[in-house]
Amino acid sequence: MTRYLAGADVGGTFTDLALYDAEKRTLALNKLLTTPDDPARAITGGLAAMQARAGQVVHGTTLVTNALIERRGAPVGLITTEGYRDVLEIGNELRYDTFDLGLERPTPLVTRPLRKTVKERIGARGDIVLPLDEAGVRTAARELAEAGVRSLAIAFFNSYRNPAHELAAKAIIEAENPGIAVCTSAEIAPEIREYERFSTAVANAYVAPIAQSYLVELERRLGVPLFIMLSDGGITTARNASDQPIALVESGPAAGAMGAAFLCRQAQWGDVIAFDMGGTTAKISLIHDGRPHRSHELEAARLQRFKKGSGLPLRLPVIELIEIGAGGGSIAAPDGLGLLRVGPRSAGALPGPACYAQGGEEPTVTDADLVRGYLSPERFLGGRMRLDTQRAREALSHLGGKLGLGVAETAAGIASVVDNNMATAARVHIAEAGTDPSRYRMVAFGGAGPVHAYSIARLLNLKEVIFPLGAGVASAIGMLVAPRSVEYARSLIAPLDSLEWPLVEEIVASLDAKARTVLAEGGIVDDEIARELSADMRYAGQGFEVNVPLDEKALERHDAVALQHAFDARYEERFGRNLGAVPVEVVSWRVRLIAPPSVDEIRFPEHAGCVDTGEALTEHREAYFTELGGFVDTPVHSRSRLAPGSKIEGPALIEEAESTCVIGPGASVEVDRFGNLIMRIEAAAQTAKPKEVTGERKSKR
Amino acid sequence: MNDTSTRKTRRAIVDDPVALQVVWTRLIAIADEAAATLRRTSFSPIVRESNDFSCVIFDAEGNAVAENTIGIPSFNMTLSRTLAHFLSVRPAVEWREGDVGICNDPWLTSGHLPDITILAPVFHKGRLIAWTGSIAHMADIGGTLWSADTREVFEEGLLIPPLLYMREGRLNADLQNIIRANVRLPDEVLGDVAAQVAAGETAARGLRDLVGREAIVDLSAISREVRARTERSMRDAIAAMPDGIYGAALDLDGTGEEDVHLEVTIEIRGEEMFLDYARTSPQVGRALNTVMTYTEAYSCYPLKCALDPGTPRNEGTYRMITVKAPEGSILNPRFPAPVHARQLVGHCLAALIYKALSPVLGERIIAESGSAPTLRVIVSGYREDERRYTSILFINGGMGARSTRDGLSATCFPSNVVCGSMETIEAQSPLRIWKKELAPDSGGPGRLRGGLGQDVEIELTGDRAGTLSLLVERVRHPALGVLGGHPGAPSRVRWNGKETGFPLKGKSRIEPGDRLVVRYPGGGGYGDPRERDRDAVREDVATGLVSARAAKEVYGL
Repeated sequence: MTRYLAGADVGGTFTDLALYDAEKRTLALNKLLTTPDDPARAITGGLAAMQARAGQVVHGTTLVTNALIERRGAPVGLITTEGYRDVLEIGNELRYDTFDLGLERPTPLVTRPLRKTVKERIGARGDIVLPLDEAGVRTAARELAEAGVRSLAIAFFNSYRNPAHELAAKAIIEAENPGIAVCTSAEIAPEIREYERFSTAVANAYVAPIAQSYLVELERRLGVPLFIMLSDGGITTARNASDQPIALVESGPAAGAMGAAFLCRQAQWGDVIAFDMGGTTAKISLIHDGRPHRSHELEAARLQRFKKGSGLPLRLPVIELIEIGAGGGSIAAPDGLGLLRVGPRSAGALPGPACYAQGGEEPTVTDADLVRGYLSPERFLGGRMRLDTQRAREALSHLGGKLGLGVAETAAGIASVVDNNMATAARVHIAEAGTDPSRYRMVAFGGAGPVHAYSIARLLNLKEVIFPLGAGVASAIGMLVAPRSVEYARSLIAPLDSLEWPLVEEIVASLDAKARTVLAEGGIVDDEIARELSADMRYAGQGFEVNVPLDEKALERHDAVALQHAFDARYEERFGRNLGAVPVEVVSWRVRLIAPPSVDEIRFPEHAGCVDTGEALTEHREAYFTELGGFVDTPVHSRSRLAPGSKIEGPALIEEAESTCVIGPGASVEVDRFGNLIMRIEAAAQTAKPKEVTGERKSKR
Repeated sequence: MNDTSTRKTRRAIVDDPVALQVVWTRLIAIADEAAATLRRTSFSPIVRESNDFSCVIFDAEGNAVAENTIGIPSFNMTLSRTLAHFLSVRPAVEWREGDVGICNDPWLTSGHLPDITILAPVFHKGRLIAWTGSIAHMADIGGTLWSADTREVFEEGLLIPPLLYMREGRLNADLQNIIRANVRLPDEVLGDVAAQVAAGETAARGLRDLVGREAIVDLSAISREVRARTERSMRDAIAAMPDGIYGAALDLDGTGEEDVHLEVTIEIRGEEMFLDYARTSPQVGRALNTVMTYTEAYSCYPLKCALDPGTPRNEGTYRMITVKAPEGSILNPRFPAPVHARQLVGHCLAALIYKALSPVLGERIIAESGSAPTLRVIVSGYREDERRYTSILFINGGMGARSTRDGLSATCFPSNVVCGSMETIEAQSPLRIWKKELAPDSGGPGRLRGGLGQDVEIELTGDRAGTLSLLVERVRHPALGVLGGHPGAPSRVRWNGKETGFPLKGKSRIEPGDRLVVRYPGGGGYGDPRERDRDAVREDVATGLVSARAAKEVYGL
């Protein structure tokens, strides 16, 4: 392995670069403005400036998700089974808002004239009911080519069960239309449910041309092997990513979650709620034993960002994140019933919160946090931006006037509403995952996360919150520590008691071979590879599958009883009971191959102690704590000056470059040996006076 | 210890625009958590894939305070009625912690037997603080297959009067055995009931946590304020309409033996509305009868959509609306009338009401929907491996055109169920679905076009006959347009090429190789089609949703 590895996370505003030195096990970081016209420029320029030649680069990108949101993809065509032309337009027929008569559905990525049908039919058992009309395929492809289509998807009914017709059609089209990129639904998402599978295949075709040219060009300019972060937190070669670019749809957020998970794993934190609150949204994900919770479905490009059902459904392995319209820029205003509402409307970066003094007049969460004394007007974003407290107060006062509240009360009210919104969303998410909030700790990230973590943790009855060191660069870290992995799945619905084992073996072997080929392209040899088998299973008749990890030996022995036990255990773990005698069926088989990450330990320079040996207690300022009845004189510490082992009792504020960690009354915080802040919250809040730092402190030099 | 309870100058939650918002949002979220539990643990694909269930939170007096976000409109309202009845036969003081009530009496619940209602009290520190309730459509309830040709409710399955399913945490084993002995899929049905009980427990945990955290004795004060604000909002919306008396009538295909005529008079008087269904058809001999709770629910829901869609719903929402229907009419039938397919009439009330209010509410109503009532095709039998199957195709016609947008194609209104995957249907039953596509020219022409219906072609494969139940309306009476809009395409069923010789609201034997071609009707149009934007007409022709001929003849292109 080469000495240096680079991670490159291209976000909407900043491009974060991380360079890992494999000998010293240390990290160097570089933050640049993103270059939207040519994102590769910031990467190549930024790496060059770091003066170490990386042997490989791992990249996370929002290119694919933005192409879907902004509808910037290629003109795309669909060839499908006769009788199913409108699957994408019909969708699931549900109104995603019960009372809104004016609601709209997402427009399909392929317009109706570009959806062609051909005669063919595969049966539900994979049998060929009608042969493929090859002449029809040629005609359809020709018509689409003439209409300017550069990329097309072939999606046939029941192809999850037998992809023969899709593959035959693909071969015909590729032979005759070399200029057109073709993908099939069974290659992209070989799972039952035509709407979701077709939607995934078409979205893939839609983003393929721009993703492919971008990745090829970037790898060429870097001159070293390029790896790409997938939505499920694995990484793969740029070439493999080009084959299935829709798998990059959550590439950006996945990097952050992987970074958070790595920090949890390195510190052995077990079950964690990762809470990342930024400018526009808050994201919540669950981490179990250092691994982010994964799922196999998501929605992209929602018409109403926070409404389930208003987007394009995708079927692919993904790190499960929920997004809430609650960020620093979320606007507070009275609703139609005279109550205070916060978000999901956001002031964004422009005009931004009132305190940015860029023309924003409506009060936001950031304004409330500033007026509550949690943010420093001088040191916001590490001093890069000055905040105008007066403007924030004016905006809050205007809103408070409408609601009959004073300025401080309004600020506290905004915080209370937004914190409850986030806690509520977290509770529903955890309920859906079938677990109980109180078993988790929270890890708080993002510009606003550490400010609000204390209050949310209390609402969720959590005892411990961690403000990790390196939180600001979690995404860049995520790139480096992600395992090289691929997962493939195929549906085959069959009752557990009458599995056709030879067919199961064939499926598993073919999924394995496909995955192994991809990893081999990235230079991974067989003995590095670990295999994870799983099956999506359910009680016959249920509509909801549970992903069950499988024992290799059970599969070798054709042991259906062992599979049944594995399912029962997993079901009971998630739902608190199992249903005994009800027959169980398998819906899909999954094979995931994983090679160890290139990086398994990161030493932060801070480990040795503080980076800055100045006085940790920098000032006292008035900060608002509802529990204490209002403003209290609160000590403010500089995080970079706190040595491992330091202990601070709340209320206290600990400032770092990107955020402020709020330590509420009744909580205390300790710096661990990695430099993480571990906050413990007492069951009963206290009303004690602010206390001094009790732990050791580095004295001035 | 909480933000809201220890505010320095503490005010009552009900006067606090922050605390009330927080608590209210939390109550809705608790209903959503209950819904998540029910969806995850239920058996019936009807619950899980088709969303055919609801969860509601009530205060200690039985007033609905909050409901899950995307529930079935009718269920939320009938749950209140069921709880009120329960409390009249078993007063609140007699309930103990761990008691769970069950009922599916159509007259007391949501109008047909497959929907089971589960209710439970929530106690905190020994005090009754709230009630939880849910309704879910079971995979089976005994009796005949879901169909419209029954003659008495007794044929339709097992009727469970208000009873305790659990007493202080212990299962009522006798009742469970009776259910087990009467339904075709006992594990699934009892599994779904268990899921409903679990959903109630989830909600109860959330409610106890909320009450403890906010340091309040129960939900009463909050409920009162939440209901009052909601009621105020709806009253304001009604007051904004001119007073007057408005009326409309609607005819349906009926049972084949008896026609069905619906008629409503709506009086707007200040902040209140009075709906009277006098002159509506008497109850009929087949299962189209719509019990009063269901009539009320589907009368109020469309009013909320048009008048005050943005406010969460609760007991306050409909307090100013009075709904009357003559006893013994199809909208208020007497026991033991058959009621199995009551949605075939109940879903049409939205169209009737919007038609009546079109002179005063033109911008906010929609044209009649082809998806109301829901057309259902149900096939049941045995697979080659001897397993029983019952496939309900939850496919929908088109929604009526809106005043500013075309109607949504293939969308359920006023009900709100999901259409599952046809691949799933094929994997679980010997049906082959040859076609499921938008039906060109089925959207009612108008300045705004009605949503398109669908063309669906179904074949029974294998070597065994099955039972087919059709629940088909709108063959003779398509979804009408409003304010000059034209009707959508009617329903149409062809069986092996023939359109007659089988009941459209009844059961038939279906043989292997039989093919059904079903047209799911389109929604009505809004306004004169000749005023439709010309580019929109050309676009519809280009996409094939409207034929060139219709563009010329109807739209005048």
